[in-house]
Amino acid sequence: MMEMVISIANLSYIYHDGTPALKGVSLDISRGESVGVIGPNGAGKTTLLLHLNGILMSKNGIVKILGIEARKENIKGIRRDVGLVFQDPDDQLFMPTVFDDVAFGPINMGCAEEEVRERVAQALEWVGMEGCEQRLPQHLSVGEKRRIAIATILSMSPQILVIDEPTANLDPRAKWELTVLLRGMSMTKIVASHDLEMIAALCKRTIILDDGKIVADDATRNIMSNTPLLERHGLAPASGIIEPQYQGPSPNR
Amino acid sequence: MKHHPEIDKYAGLSSPIHNWDPRAKLIAILSLIIGIVLIPDLEIALIGLAIALTLVLISRIPFSFILKHMLWVIMFIAPLFVIVSLTPSGGIEHASLIAVKALSAVILIFPMIGTMRFDTTIKALERLKIPSKLVQMIMFTYRYIFVFTSEVQRMFTSLTSRGFRKRTNIYTLSTTGKLIGMLFVRSLDRSERVFNAMVSRGYEGNLKTLVDFEMHTADVLKAAILIAIAVALNVVCLTVV
Repeated sequence: MMEMVISIANLSYIYHDGTPALKGVSLDISRGESVGVIGPNGAGKTTLLLHLNGILMSKNGIVKILGIEARKENIKGIRRDVGLVFQDPDDQLFMPTVFDDVAFGPINMGCAEEEVRERVAQALEWVGMEGCEQRLPQHLSVGEKRRIAIATILSMSPQILVIDEPTANLDPRAKWELTVLLRGMSMTKIVASHDLEMIAALCKRTIILDDGKIVADDATRNIMSNTPLLERHGLAPASGIIEPQYQGPSPNR
Repeated sequence: MKHHPEIDKYAGLSSPIHNWDPRAKLIAILSLIIGIVLIPDLEIALIGLAIALTLVLISRIPFSFILKHMLWVIMFIAPLFVIVSLTPSGGIEHASLIAVKALSAVILIFPMIGTMRFDTTIKALERLKIPSKLVQMIMFTYRYIFVFTSEVQRMFTSLTSRGFRKRTNIYTLSTTGKLIGMLFVRSLDRSERVFNAMVSRGYEGNLKTLVDFEMHTADVLKAAILIAIAVALNVVCLTVV
C-alpha cells in the first residue's frame, strides 16, 4: 500500500458570515501523486487548499499531513512540509527583492546563512530565474512573478507542493512553460485550477469540487472525456455554444 | 510597464557617497540634518546649505532631478516664508533662516537615501535596530505602494472610459470618495492574503533578511567628518554670539 501524505476525513468549514464553504470533504493522496482540483468559481477550492497547511483549521473533520493531524502545536512542521503557492503573485511576493523573498522561508526555518544562500540559488535555478536575485518585484512580468512565487516555496524543500491557479493571467506560451516546469518536479503536487488543458497535461488524477463537495474523483483521462459530467459542474460549455452565431444586433449599423 | 516616480532612481551611480556603508551614511547625514536644523544664525545656515549642495555634487545626482522633487517642498516653504516675514516677532531674516534650514534638510535627503536602493535603506534601518514593527511598515509601504497606485490608475481608467470627468462639484467628490473607500476594502482583503502567504512560510512576527554590509575605516571616517561638521556649525554660532 502506498504511503498517504494527505488524508482528509469529513472536513467541513463555515465562513464567519455563515456561508458553508466545505461540506464533508474526504480525500486521500499518496506520495508522488499529482492531483488536479477543478471546479467552478466559489466551489471551495481555495478554502480546501488553505486547510492543507493550517492557515484555516476546522473543528469539523480531520486533516492529516504525513500521518500527523494538523494542530496548533505542530503547525510549524506542517508548514515546512506543505508549500502553498497563492493565486496572486503580488500576495506571495511581499519582500523588497527577489532574493529576500526566496530567502524568507529558509531563514524562518532557521537555516544558517550559507545554507540560505545555497537554497535561494538552487530554487531560482529550478524555475529558470537564476541571476535575478537583486531584481524588484514591481519590475517583473506576471510570468516571472509566478516563477519566483514557486521558487519561494521550493527553497523550503517541501514534500508536498500545493498551487492555487498557477496559470491565471498567463499567455499560452508562459502557461505551457510553467506547466512543463511543474511537470518536472517530483514531489507530491496538488493543483487547483479551472484550466483543464493544464490539468490534463500535469495531473494523472483529478477531483471535481462543486458547492463544497467532492463530486468526482477519478483518472484525469476519464474525467476529461466525461463531457456531461463537466457540463453539469460548469466546466465545459453546453453543447452548441462554441459555434459562432449571429443573432444579436447587427455589427453593421 | 508604467513608470513610477522613484527616489532611488540614481542609486546605480558610483560615487564616494554611493559606496559608503548604508548604516554609517544614514547616521552621519541624519546627524548633519539635525546639526543644521539647530543653527540659530542665518550666515552659518547658509554654510550648511552650501555643504548640503556640495554633498549632492559629490553624489553626482543631477540637480534637475532634485529640483523637480523640490518643487513640492518649495510650494510648502514659500507661504511659510511670506507669513513669518510679515509677523512682528519674525521678520525677513528669521523667515530666511527657517527657509534655508528647511531647504538644506530636504536637499540632504537625496544624498542620504537617493544614493542606495530603497531596499538597502530598509535593511540598514533594520540593522540599526530601529523597531521591527516600524521597519516592516516602511517595507510593506514600499512594496505595495506600486501595487496600489496601479490599482487606482485602473479604477480611474475604468471611470474615464465610462464618461467620468474630474470637475469641481459634489458628484466628483462623492465618486472619488467611493473610489478611495473601495481601495481601502481591496487593501484590507489583500493584507489578509499577504498575511496568509507570510504565515504559511513561517512568519512569526519578525522579519529577518541577509545583508552583506561591511564597515571599513573609510566609512567610519566619512561619518566622523560629517558629524564633526554638524557639531562645528553649532559651536561656531555659540562663539560668534
